[in-house]
Amino acid sequence: MKVSLFITCLCDTFTPDVGKDTVELLERFGCEVDFPVGQTCCGQPAYNSGYKSESIQAMKQMIKAFEQAEYVVGPSGSCVHMLKEYPKVLAGEPEWAERARKLSDKTFELTQFLVDVLKVEDVGATFTGTATYHPSCHMTRLLGVKDAPRILLENVKGLNLIDLPMKEDCCGFGGTFAVKNSHISGQMVQEKAEHIEETHADYLIGGDMGCVMNMGGRLRRNGQEVKFLHIAQVLNTQ
Amino acid sequence: MSIKIGHKPYAERIQDGLNNAFMRKAVSSAQGRFRSGRLKAAEELGDWEDWRTLGEEIRSHTMENLDYYLHQLSEQVEKRGGTVFFAETAKEANEYIQEIAKKKQAKKVVKSKSMVTEEIGLNEALEKSGCEVVESDLGEWILQLDEDPPSHIVTPALHKNKEQIRETFMKKKGYTGSDDPVELAAFAREQLRQDFLEADIGVTGCNFAVAESGAITLVTNEGNARMVTSLPDTQISVMGMERIVPTWEDLEVVVSLLTRAAVGQKLTSYITALTGTRLEDEVDGPEDFHLVIVDNGRSKILGTEFQSALHCIRCAACINACPVYRHVGGHSYGSIYPGPIGAVLTPLLDGYDDHKDLPYASTLCAACTEACPVKIPLHEHLIRHREIIVEREKMTTKAEKMMMMGFAKWASTPAAYKLSTKMARTTLKPWTKEEYIEKGPGPMKGWTEQRDFPAPARERFRDWYQKREQRSDQ
Amino acid sequence: MAIHHREAFLDNLAEQLGRSRKRNVEAPHYSVHPQERVFQGATQEELVEKLEEQCKIIHTSFMRTDLERLGDTLRSVLLNYDVTKVVGAGGSRNEATGLTNFYQEIQLEGYDVHIWDEAKGQENVSFAERAGAGIVFSDITLAESGTVTLFNDRYNGRSISLLPETFIAIIPKSTLVPRMTQASQLIHEEEKKGNLVPSCISFVTGPSNSADIEMNLIVGVHGPVKATYIIVDDL
Ligand code: SF4
Repeated sequence: MKVSLFITCLCDTFTPDVGKDTVELLERFGCEVDFPVGQTCCGQPAYNSGYKSESIQAMKQMIKAFEQAEYVVGPSGSCVHMLKEYPKVLAGEPEWAERARKLSDKTFELTQFLVDVLKVEDVGATFTGTATYHPSCHMTRLLGVKDAPRILLENVKGLNLIDLPMKEDCCGFGGTFAVKNSHISGQMVQEKAEHIEETHADYLIGGDMGCVMNMGGRLRRNGQEVKFLHIAQVLNTQ
Repeated sequence: MSIKIGHKPYAERIQDGLNNAFMRKAVSSAQGRFRSGRLKAAEELGDWEDWRTLGEEIRSHTMENLDYYLHQLSEQVEKRGGTVFFAETAKEANEYIQEIAKKKQAKKVVKSKSMVTEEIGLNEALEKSGCEVVESDLGEWILQLDEDPPSHIVTPALHKNKEQIRETFMKKKGYTGSDDPVELAAFAREQLRQDFLEADIGVTGCNFAVAESGAITLVTNEGNARMVTSLPDTQISVMGMERIVPTWEDLEVVVSLLTRAAVGQKLTSYITALTGTRLEDEVDGPEDFHLVIVDNGRSKILGTEFQSALHCIRCAACINACPVYRHVGGHSYGSIYPGPIGAVLTPLLDGYDDHKDLPYASTLCAACTEACPVKIPLHEHLIRHREIIVEREKMTTKAEKMMMMGFAKWASTPAAYKLSTKMARTTLKPWTKEEYIEKGPGPMKGWTEQRDFPAPARERFRDWYQKREQRSDQ
Repeated sequence: MAIHHREAFLDNLAEQLGRSRKRNVEAPHYSVHPQERVFQGATQEELVEKLEEQCKIIHTSFMRTDLERLGDTLRSVLLNYDVTKVVGAGGSRNEATGLTNFYQEIQLEGYDVHIWDEAKGQENVSFAERAGAGIVFSDITLAESGTVTLFNDRYNGRSISLLPETFIAIIPKSTLVPRMTQASQLIHEEEKKGNLVPSCISFVTGPSNSADIEMNLIVGVHGPVKATYIIVDDL
């Protein structure tokens, strides 16, 4: 199976390890992974801020970059969902909309791809420690990926998974919201940090780097000792 | 009152909200209860998604044929002895009601809870024409005594604690009891009973009108709406023009959705369906009935991409699910309609000038959309608003526009993307300490005010990948 | 009686919707009907059980009796509430259930009883205002929500179930249906047949209540503070 990695601009720039783990994980299950170098950012920062025409420029670049791919897999529910919105956003340009639809149909979030397409529920990982998982809003509500991360994590040996209180609540990231409405965002992420504290977990795991950076940044600011990881980093342990 | 409440700018309102520790605690615990009630009620049904689908279908069918159903409704109301007034504006509605009050020489008007009368500022209008207006919903009464606007569309006094309420009762009504909620409520019961018996006119809102029979339905728990419609001789019901369903069978579904989504009740204590005037052989109920159907900006929403905002059944589930609302409270929205639905509806009804910040008061987490019993895509409407603010209203700053144009260029030109991501680490070097930025420059300030920002990695993913490819090629 | 400003108002709506005025709309076919599945096929006895369960949630006392013992049951309820002033709905059901006799009996025992009578006009309301309990018959009873449906009319004034502190509903077992769906269907059918719907239909679920003060549930605000349902078996 041929898979083109959609790295997301955040992972590309800030957490390359997540990309490495994603590649290795997919390869371990027989995928042939390539990395289309023309990819940039999915356009969400502009799209969600109301800059539709600006975001469309990014979208078209992404459509071109992945045109040859058989499957597109990315380690982010939010960015993958953005790709899946392309056909709607480009509805006014039928030819692009059709190309967008093709991209949308073949694009998957990492855990979704593992569980739904590769039919893997146990990746054979071992990770010793106590962790709690934050299910990101876009991954669960918009992309509809609710069970896959949980199934995969529950099968990780040595991992003691503790339920995060009020886990469905947004961490306060919201892209530009974190900057534009930083005071509200700060209170939201603080509440999240307190709930993480309540679990006494050593690790916070997330499936979206934006949210993990937000929560991790607050944990660090608070001097909380909790380490934060992307789910790919946990799943790719042996 | 009107849609807009207060004059403080957005940033100040938000700060007020964030600084109000009691309010935040109250809102947070209320949200918890509302939410678990809603989730439990949904779980009990087992097929909540089917219910939502049905709710959505009923609401969109109604809106597509709104002219027809309003026509049918008005015919039926007239047949049953009522008078119908179609008001395009708040002013028209108020003037019509003032006229009735004058004709009846009304001194006292009792009201049951109604958002649309808040919206059109009916109380002020009636007071101007010399009527005493008494709100009879407990929460609304508290706010009326305290001259405070509502902060929630179902429990309007959510932001007040019992000590504050006791004080208000003491100051305004000579109350001498404790701050025990039961005692406070008993006092209200006793005080308001007299008002019900004395009132010349009863004013209600309308949860749903039933087109086929001309019934006006009121959904309450306290029983005040029944008082308002049983005791005074004249009843005036004011409805937003979209608050209608075709048949009784449709009514039943939306009422079930409303009570479950709002408070997790299977039904509230009272669902009261009133049709026209009392019959000749009946003793209680109004002998004169007026239905005022209000547009006040709603028709502008019809036929647009925002049409589904008119499907709203005012259950507040989106408000109760919203994490932003939890931290800032209702008054921060500067509108009588707070929370996600408020952020969608307020700019539509009252324009962007005063409310352009509301569509951004959301992380787009979609908790609202998920909670909405009639499946209004609230978070998508917020994005549409943002697009309008940017592209049509051109209300954003030049700096932001420049930044976004830069973004477009960056994200559509792989070479530029590659170069900048490569440079990022060096660019941010002056602010970086131990792989983190604690005080960032320019647009990063908002971020680092609240949390640390990681330094860009030494080696990007794409660099690692390229090297790996080269290795395997050899 | 009149309709003001209608045509321009509705023309505008049609225009916004991008079409001319609709003069006819076909009844829509919805894709799902979850409301019909609730308690589908339940027997009358099962519905009684559901009702009893729901009564616990809605702060309502539940009693069960038969026609013969209805009077005794009512008497015990009144005694229990310590009520001596009673307003009851009028109409033929009083005769049919023996309540007429019951009311006469308790009157002799010193109770102050008033049966709603349109001829007495406002006196009905002022009595109800002072009464300790109001007694009505349920027209349709919704098992799921524990709701009694009252068709308020000349016999069953709105005030009876509203003004007294205690609300007593006599529920003939035969009036039980699964939920509001069946009640609405019935009203809809009547409507289609051209029968006027009552000027007031009250769906009453337990006593009045409020959560307006710090979300504390307060039972008993403007309407009744206490409620009792009496299921009568052979009705
Ligand atoms: S938008 Fe939906 S959830 Fe919010 S109040 Fe309206 S109906 Fe309820």
